Amino acid sequence: MTVKSSVLLGSAALGLLIALIGFSALLFAEPYHQRIVFIFMVNLIIVLGLQVFMGNCDITHFGHIGFMGIAAYAVAVLATPIAIKKTALATAPFGLSGIELPLFFAVPGAIAITLIVAFFVGLVMVRQTGVPATIATLAFLVVVHVVLLNWVDLTRGPRAFYGIPIKASLSTATAIAVVGVLIARMFRDSRWGVQLRASSEDAAAAAAVGVRMQRLRFAAWMLSALFLSVAGVLFALFVGTISPKSFYFELTFLTLAMLIIGGMHSVTGAVVGAIVVALGLEVTRFVENGPDIAGFELPQMFGLTGFYLGAVIVFGMAFRSEGIVGPQEIEEWWGSRQQGKQSDAGSSEAPNP
Amino acid sequence: MRIAEPSNGESLGPRSGGKKLIVSRVCKSFSGLEVLRDVSLRCDEGEIVGLIGPNGAGKSTLINAITALMPVNSGEVVINGLRVSNTTPQFGAMSGLGRTFQNIRLFKRLTVRQNVEVAHTSALRDKPGEAAAIDLDDLLAQFDLSAFADWRAGSLPYGSQRRLEIVRALALAPDFLLLDEPAAGMNAGETSALIDAVRQSSKAFGCGVLVIDHDLRFIMTLCNRIYVLDAGQIIASGTPEEVRNDPQVIEVYIGHPKNQPTQDH
Ligand SMILES: Nc1ncnc2c1ncn2[C@@H]1O[C@H](COP(=O)(O)OP(=O)(O)OP(=O)(O)O)[C@@H](O)[C@H]1O
Ligand SMILES: [Mg+2]
Repeated sequence: MTVKSSVLLGSAALGLLIALIGFSALLFAEPYHQRIVFIFMVNLIIVLGLQVFMGNCDITHFGHIGFMGIAAYAVAVLATPIAIKKTALATAPFGLSGIELPLFFAVPGAIAITLIVAFFVGLVMVRQTGVPATIATLAFLVVVHVVLLNWVDLTRGPRAFYGIPIKASLSTATAIAVVGVLIARMFRDSRWGVQLRASSEDAAAAAAVGVRMQRLRFAAWMLSALFLSVAGVLFALFVGTISPKSFYFELTFLTLAMLIIGGMHSVTGAVVGAIVVALGLEVTRFVENGPDIAGFELPQMFGLTGFYLGAVIVFGMAFRSEGIVGPQEIEEWWGSRQQGKQSDAGSSEAPNP
Repeated sequence: MRIAEPSNGESLGPRSGGKKLIVSRVCKSFSGLEVLRDVSLRCDEGEIVGLIGPNGAGKSTLINAITALMPVNSGEVVINGLRVSNTTPQFGAMSGLGRTFQNIRLFKRLTVRQNVEVAHTSALRDKPGEAAAIDLDDLLAQFDLSAFADWRAGSLPYGSQRRLEIVRALALAPDFLLLDEPAAGMNAGETSALIDAVRQSSKAFGCGVLVIDHDLRFIMTLCNRIYVLDAGQIIASGTPEEVRNDPQVIEVYIGHPKNQPTQDH
């Protein structure tokens, strides 16, 4: 497969931006803020994974965080030291309480387990379209949550799973996010990505030119699950303690908001959305706690962050349904402004070649 | 997929001269309403065949049935010995069918070139040899689209959108090209350019063409042979000359208010 230079250019621009955020945090920020930037990188990887499926298939996906949860718990169960498991996970099935894998095996193992689940769920998923497909993804999220909550022997249920080795660093997360941008772009602009986007615009016309939509959807589904499993592993190996509610509606809606606000049809949109929403979220968190600003003490406003996400989605949809960025990638911005590729060129007279 | 028995096609014959599109006795109804009744027609390699008929005659439905976008109730469509009716549109494309739509169906968010690449990708998978021989730049140039290659398809002028649909179909390296009112909305200049472009591509690709249009002059100029469909039935066929002089066609077609040129008969 050849990679177009425009794709490399666009990925490089976005990658540079992400690297800049990551490395300035590494160099200048205190641990507390580094932590925030790490979580941002994880969220960015989630949003990229979401873009791979949603942006190319035009199906709203509510189940992505389910994959993240599976991967996080899988790496937790595989990599947590036996010493901790003796007390925390004494009754684990399959003799797992006596197993402690080095990360070199635990990480690929966790990703593989997630992908196997994604494979079987995907076989069912790709047959659905539109609202039924979206509902199926939502059902998947709920099922994963219920299993994590109730398979107490394996997951400790609603209680926190602690003692996961803390091995992930901000530089790793940044590097993965940068690579993630490149992979998401390469998929979107590959022959198959273009065919997939065509089929989500007009399934019948695509079928008439030989596009096999279900296979392509399946590919996007699996690639998306790969992103989410990496995000889950990173998250678990950074925070060290996880619980089922870490992987439920809150994170689902936060990352969905990021993608939709930025513009789900482009990877540029995913990156921009993640940055904008994360910044806004930090500001609202700050205000929520009732800080002193220039001598005035603001009241505490609980729930402001939730309100913020809702408001951002509603206003975003109302005023820019294609998101901040729209369907175009960063490198397409220049050209389109000059040549008038936008829809307003529709009525204009065409240059005669 | 099942290979059709050569014995059942009156016109399949011994492998005389390569590619064939054969529609035999196709019936199609929508919830009881019979839209196609025992329709049979054929198109040979490199032949340009017209299909005319009044509004609602079933012309578009016939193309949808041929390309397996819709199942047929009975009868079958066979291409180069393969049955394609009641399969899938993808199988139709793989077997050598390329088509356009009456109500243009481009991938509007994709660029002009990407629209063509979508089809070309399928061709590279299904028939790598033939597909690799297609130069997309040449193809775009032939249909006056080079200057638009990086435009979003949805922002093209109307006539160019129609031409792009043809280019997209040709990128499949089809054996048969099915065009549903390709000249609709085009001016005289564009229409005559279209005639040349279709002829050229038919030669270059060695593909047969089945073309629907209401513009009789366009059809009569372009086609070697013409079928006339009325109320789901083929009522006449032959050379443009024969069809023009067929009394039944004159009654159905010229009698149609839209096409009534003069009151002198
Ligand atoms: N999907 C459908 N469901 C029900 N009826 C249909 C459907 N598609 C077409 N028809 C009906 O079938 C008949 C033939 O339609 P068709 O579009 O094939 O005609 P046509 O010859 O292409 O006409 P035109 O010249 O106007 O394009 C019409 O009466 C139409 O209403
Ligand atoms: Mg029609």
